[in-house]
Amino acid sequence: MTIAKIERLDRLIEASVTARDAESGSLWRQSLRRMRRSPMAICGAVIVGLFFIVALLGPWIAPYGPTEQTWGGEVFLNQNIFPGPRAENWFGLDHLGRDMFSRMVVGARQTMLVGVVATLIGFAAGAVVGGFAAAAGTFGGRWGERLEAVIMRAVDVALSIPMLLLALSVAALLGPSLTTVMIAVGVAQIPIFARMLRGSMLAQAHSDYVLAAISMGVPKARIVVSHILPNSLGPVIVQATLVLATAIIEAAALSYLGLGNPDPGTPEWGTMLADAQRFLSGAPQLAIYPAVGIIITALGFTLLGEAMRESLDPRLRRQQ
Amino acid sequence: MALLEVEDLRIAFGSSTVVDGVSFHVDESQVVSLVGESGCGKSVTSLAIMGLLPKLRKSGRGGGAAVSGRAVFDGVDLFGLSADQMRRRRGADLAMVFQDPLSSLNPVVPIGRQITEVLERHRGLRGEAARKEAENLLDRVGIPDPRRRLGEYPHQLSGGMRQRVLIAIAVACAPRLLIADEPTTALDVTIQAQILELLKDLVDAEGTALLMITHDLGVVAGMCNVVNVLYSGRVVESSSASRLFAEPTHPYTVGLLGSIPRLDLPIHEPLKPIRGSIADVIRWGDGCAFAPRCDLVGAECVAGEPMLKGEAHAHRCVKAEEIA
Amino acid sequence: MSDNMTEDLTADTATAPLLAIEDLEVHFPIRRGIAIERTVGHVRAVDGVSLSIGAGDTYGLVGESGCGKTTLGRAVLRIEEPTAGKIRLGDVEVTSLRSEPLRRFRSKMQMVFQDPLGSLNPRHNVEMLLAEPLKVHGVGSKTERNKLATETLDAVGLPSSVLDRYPHEFSGGQRQRLGIARALMLRPDLIVCDEPVSALDVSIQAQVMNLLDELQDEFGLTYLVIAHDLAVVRHLSDQVGVMYLGKLVEEADSEAIYEHPRHPYTKALLSAVPQPDPEIEANRERIILKGDLPSPANPPSGCRFRTRCPWAQDICAEEEPVWREAATGHKVACHFDL
Repeated sequence: MTIAKIERLDRLIEASVTARDAESGSLWRQSLRRMRRSPMAICGAVIVGLFFIVALLGPWIAPYGPTEQTWGGEVFLNQNIFPGPRAENWFGLDHLGRDMFSRMVVGARQTMLVGVVATLIGFAAGAVVGGFAAAAGTFGGRWGERLEAVIMRAVDVALSIPMLLLALSVAALLGPSLTTVMIAVGVAQIPIFARMLRGSMLAQAHSDYVLAAISMGVPKARIVVSHILPNSLGPVIVQATLVLATAIIEAAALSYLGLGNPDPGTPEWGTMLADAQRFLSGAPQLAIYPAVGIIITALGFTLLGEAMRESLDPRLRRQQ
Repeated sequence: MALLEVEDLRIAFGSSTVVDGVSFHVDESQVVSLVGESGCGKSVTSLAIMGLLPKLRKSGRGGGAAVSGRAVFDGVDLFGLSADQMRRRRGADLAMVFQDPLSSLNPVVPIGRQITEVLERHRGLRGEAARKEAENLLDRVGIPDPRRRLGEYPHQLSGGMRQRVLIAIAVACAPRLLIADEPTTALDVTIQAQILELLKDLVDAEGTALLMITHDLGVVAGMCNVVNVLYSGRVVESSSASRLFAEPTHPYTVGLLGSIPRLDLPIHEPLKPIRGSIADVIRWGDGCAFAPRCDLVGAECVAGEPMLKGEAHAHRCVKAEEIA
Repeated sequence: MSDNMTEDLTADTATAPLLAIEDLEVHFPIRRGIAIERTVGHVRAVDGVSLSIGAGDTYGLVGESGCGKTTLGRAVLRIEEPTAGKIRLGDVEVTSLRSEPLRRFRSKMQMVFQDPLGSLNPRHNVEMLLAEPLKVHGVGSKTERNKLATETLDAVGLPSSVLDRYPHEFSGGQRQRLGIARALMLRPDLIVCDEPVSALDVSIQAQVMNLLDELQDEFGLTYLVIAHDLAVVRHLSDQVGVMYLGKLVEEADSEAIYEHPRHPYTKALLSAVPQPDPEIEANRERIILKGDLPSPANPPSGCRFRTRCPWAQDICAEEEPVWREAATGHKVACHFDL
């Protein structure tokens, strides 16, 4: 090895050391670091975090049982008398004399369950459909391209059906229950996830590093799984966060329309909202609590999703 | 008196100083170049002169640029002008041609309209008169069949044609200074030759001064009277083109010239590259920023700030005498 | 391992070239229609190119964007499917390989890309990047792979301490070194370098060009260098081919092509390269070509270059010039002896 080469080596080592502190670690780790500096991300994370804590620990936090009609005698429906917030009932009483605060806290779990499960259904099924379509279109030759076209036209048709209508049809088939709501909302999200993942994968499939993998003789399946897919998931995960917010709202809408869980023993914010509509003129607070709960939670997920999108966006990465 | 006199220009984005005290001047009908590699601050300098850098907000957030120093154009400090005054100057007195002609043109407006818009704003030409003049301009920058081209959209033109349109827009109001930021980097060699020829003709015919921002020493040799070599935000060597290429004085300039494969040298002669990369840098205040990559580096190179020495042929190297 | 290979190659040189391309064509269909797509024409990206490269040599392919040089490079590696023609590497006919044998054969031929960052998977660290080609071809155990990675990094001038770092943490030049290291991992016979330095800064370009030179000697490599920069190609190549609209218009050893260019397009290209010397620039005769490259979907009749050629005559529109040997080893496709 020549002297010049040794010198160059030293130089490069030196360069590596200095560059290291500035920006190191995988892309995920970097995004996480960027997110920690974003007020939007912190806000979103705090809201989502609180929501999950309440959802998980609800029954232990709630001062009363969700179905305990402790103060039944104090409520007079026909005279619109609903005791409001007071020391023993922070959010007041509902039409059956149950503690609203306890119902909200316990209901968070069902709401979370609906949102998370529905999103997972949409994500999983959508990823399978979209991922399969993209893989077929990229590496399946002419037949693969045709298969992709058929799948994606079907997805387009599904996308053009109004989401609520789709969810309603599913709910009508399965009868009213919480599972129905989850499946209905989840199914409605499938085409969105399928489209997103396919688009994202196709964009990656044309990148140079995929070309490099092909030219090295990496098997097609491995290219899809270890190169294209991990690089395509970013935007889809962001979308999942945003979908979680809409799923909670959608689920509330379905519950409001009477397709939710009819069992009064497991309160859920959407069902509570539906129950409250009868008393909207006399006791709007019964509707406001679950509505505000839904809005804040949805906002939390949206903030988190947007912050994630920003921190993953390569254009913003270059600016900083 | 110089047409444009840039004095002690400093530009910082947040905590990173991109341009660190750059001074140079452009005389009437002179072609001056700022040459250097990516990150040397040449493009930012041109944007600062044009007043096109994002302004620093009072809060200090939002990624604006902190610009200090002076850029005196025709006796007026451009940095002291209001945004509105600057807008009136831009296009009329100073104009700019960018590297990427596609993103510099509005994709949904026919090129004719994009030219007449400038004519309207700065020269008050309207309707038929403006259209006629636009046609003349396209003809002057060598676009065949200009009348038909006026109605076309940027995506219908080739890269070379788009660059010609951009030049037509830039010279529409007969500016006294034209700034060209890597005007041919995105183009093929034969098209590059066409565009350089066109720029040269315009400069010769109109007496427009040209500030050429480029990384290509070949382009500099063919076009420019005066060369300023930038490294890490400072001018390291400045002289007339003929002297700079004949007797490069700063080791960075020497290194750049040694890095370029040349058609007139014996074939397969090994190149003499500069080692390391622009990431290997020390702050100008502590010594010569180029020292970590320099073959001649000695203790005196890192013993404080090197100054720009010399009048006609200035250089910022404490060991320059040794080289000569 | 590499030493044995070098010996094999030198033994072969006398008999046959390492890479032989015969009448290669790559046509891309232009499709129209919404539901049912019809083919309405073809872009003739590569339209009948023959060339051969001797073992251990460097063949430089120059031309402007849209001339088909990148497509040709990719067709050689079968990343792009050739429409017609034959490609032979060593004694294997690459064009006739079916998918699995082709995949295995890819270890013999590798590629270096123009965009060093884009060609490296951003989520893989250096260790994964370098180990992948070995893994998919079943070479070595984990420790052997690691050892090979360290050796190769050393060869391209990077310390082994970079193994756990990610592509975005490197400078442009270092990334291109990584790209080269990855292409070297399988110790291939042929490396296609597609614009290996054009995305880099001038001072870094020289480093990478010198590195490519060193590695060629060290590993007995054969290069197909594709570039638009004539000075770069001249510096790296033993033989140069000039492409215009999908065809070779001139081919010779690099000395001859730069000293005595015979095709008007080569002359124009050479005269258009700006030289870093004001004196040469001031005194040189420039041939400025008119207009732009015609569409490769509908190339001009006769000689493809005639629409921009300063010497064009009637015959150029009527007859396609034959690919002839104008001097020993100097081929040209032009009706005239210029």
